[in-house]
Amino acid sequence: MRGNTRRRIGVVAAMGAATMLALTACAGNAAAPTDEAPQLELSDEPVTLSFTWWGNDTRHAITEELIAAFEAEHPNITIEPQYTDWAGYWDKLSTSVAAGDIPDIIQMDEKQLSTYAANGVLMDLGGLSSVLSTEDYPEAVLGTGALDGTQYGVPVGINSYTIIANQDLLDQYGVDLPDDETWTWDDFIATAQEVAEASGGAVSGTQSWGFEDGGLNNWLRQHDSALYDADGEIAASEEDLAGWWEFLLDATKDGATPDPAATIERESGGLAESFTATNQSAFGPWWSNQVQALRDASGQDLVALRVPTSKGASDGWAYYKPSMFWSASAKTEHPAEVATFLDFLANSEEAADLLLAERGVPANEKIRDYITPKLDEVNQTVVGFLDDLAPQVGDAPAATPPGGGVIEAIIDQHTQQVLFGEMTPDEAAASFLEQLQQALEDAAV
Amino acid sequence: MSALGELRRIKGTSAPKSRKQNTAAFLFLLPWFIGLALITVGPMAASFALSFTRYNLLSPPRFIGIENYLRMLQDERLHTALAVTFQYVFISVPLQLGLALALAILLDRGLRGLSLYRSAFYLPSLLGASVAIAILWRQLFGVDGLVNVVLGWFGIEGQGWISNPETALGTLMILNVWTFGAPMVIFLAGLRQIPVMYYEAASVDGANRWQQFRRITLPMLTPIIFFNLILQLIGAFQSFTQAFVVSGGTGGPVDSTLFYTLYLYQQGFANLNMGYASAMAWLLLVIVAALTAINFWASKYWVFYDDQD
Repeated sequence: MRGNTRRRIGVVAAMGAATMLALTACAGNAAAPTDEAPQLELSDEPVTLSFTWWGNDTRHAITEELIAAFEAEHPNITIEPQYTDWAGYWDKLSTSVAAGDIPDIIQMDEKQLSTYAANGVLMDLGGLSSVLSTEDYPEAVLGTGALDGTQYGVPVGINSYTIIANQDLLDQYGVDLPDDETWTWDDFIATAQEVAEASGGAVSGTQSWGFEDGGLNNWLRQHDSALYDADGEIAASEEDLAGWWEFLLDATKDGATPDPAATIERESGGLAESFTATNQSAFGPWWSNQVQALRDASGQDLVALRVPTSKGASDGWAYYKPSMFWSASAKTEHPAEVATFLDFLANSEEAADLLLAERGVPANEKIRDYITPKLDEVNQTVVGFLDDLAPQVGDAPAATPPGGGVIEAIIDQHTQQVLFGEMTPDEAAASFLEQLQQALEDAAV
Repeated sequence: MSALGELRRIKGTSAPKSRKQNTAAFLFLLPWFIGLALITVGPMAASFALSFTRYNLLSPPRFIGIENYLRMLQDERLHTALAVTFQYVFISVPLQLGLALALAILLDRGLRGLSLYRSAFYLPSLLGASVAIAILWRQLFGVDGLVNVVLGWFGIEGQGWISNPETALGTLMILNVWTFGAPMVIFLAGLRQIPVMYYEAASVDGANRWQQFRRITLPMLTPIIFFNLILQLIGAFQSFTQAFVVSGGTGGPVDSTLFYTLYLYQQGFANLNMGYASAMAWLLLVIVAALTAINFWASKYWVFYDDQD
């Protein structure tokens, strides 16, 4: 299975990296203007478009402002907002689709994109190219929104996986901030243990992990493997998976992480209750777009560090994850208006002024350059972190195949089994592969 | 004799005469029948049909025969969910009914301010299945929760009750037992129905409190106990909110709170296996119906109806 990964060794200019994925995407010239792209005509009649997204109150307020700004420019278009939090979003979207009431514009997640696309819910955005330009997007990033050469989503922002360190806690216990350009997983655990011991158990070394796919993806890529291959088959080996859980289990036994029960309790409490946000652990694995929220909650000096590597891991394991996509309903009655709104969201400076980096550091490079000076200090450091990471960044991971959206639940479930000693890492790895395979087969259309 | 026949006998009316009244009755019942057809029977029929399909909500359902039902035999998480649910039902429902009966008898003693107590005890039944209470439960039984604070006063070091696989289900059982108010109110009403003369006769014969309870109260109350038992059993099998909120929707830790309905929800909405979820719903219906049937059959041997000859 490991032979399936097609990662290139060496330094890759990250944002511009031409990936296999992007190449396939570009082969169809998905969203670039072509002669075949239909001319879209805007209606003079009043048009109402529904627009759905997930998020928190901050995002809802920003998006309402975006809508108001767009409607001011286009008086005959009304955007009807439909928003919820993340937890209820997919229940609502899937039932809306079942009821034949698909929102015109959909905020889409990478793990769900292929599922919705394969079932014919999403529009080929290539058909909107006369209005919706994607030329300011690096091909590699744009490719993450394309499947088999069809562009189903325009990437909104980019993130990277990171280890957040609490500088104040490290200072308090006299532990030096490790050098994240060279540190290994063993260094990471050793430092975490050092903090836990120095504090006498008052704070934990590092928050536990194993509840979402980011950490697993990074680990697999560092082991020259990947979660999926380009054909949408599972590429991760049982051995690598077991190794991941083995490492977590050892770290837990060594006292580098909190005890499993405390971890589970915080995990279901979300970001605000996490050890990092409450300044109760020196380190914690997060996504780069969460730095702002964590800083707000913690009030202390949090630093984004690169993920440690295994000894001898080659560069190119890191990757930029699209935070989300703008997608459209394949059944919309107003493609021209949808294209106009998407263009406004994706390419206009006016929208960028409102969006800032709340949906991730903009994937649109032109917009990114435009907005970076306007960002606050925390988000500027995040942009800096992503830029500095570039030498390590390789190809985007192969797209999640249909049905892969449940992977977080499957990972979470098996991490619990391992932490509480109900399964060995080997058993968890075998069971994980079985359940993920089942999910992919269930979703086969 | 059927209930309707009984009614006719009492009223002394014969069938033909009452036909007009029947029409009127059916007219009054019509809104309810329409609701039943649209909101209950229709979706039930649809879910039965869907249980023979693969349906991901996004594309039309596809017929796959009894595959979903066969799959349930192999599905280990389903078996876990069944074990968790059975434990929950068979431990918490008897405890809940016992507590409800004990408090009903206590309150029936003509306590001053009875209505206040009755309302106070009934309140949890109204709130028990709500999200707010489930969140409160998380706070109470958390590592830094009130339960551990109180235990700390006695020098006992607590633990994270809801995040420990050994105790998580127990906290949900306590939550269910705590909602004893609804059966309690019904027990209270039942106790009021027992004629005082029985107790008077018994005390004349020298029966003590316990004998009176054992020989008069319990037998006279069996129909009410039976009614409460059926109602609470069915309700407990359908529990969802508590586990969903307390475990954050995962059924964790280590699937220890994976209620049947929670797993059904996960299959239907997270895995988009709506066909399989429908088949699971029908299995639950069969289980609950079978248990209810067994209960009705067994009731012949322990439920005493005063009006029986």
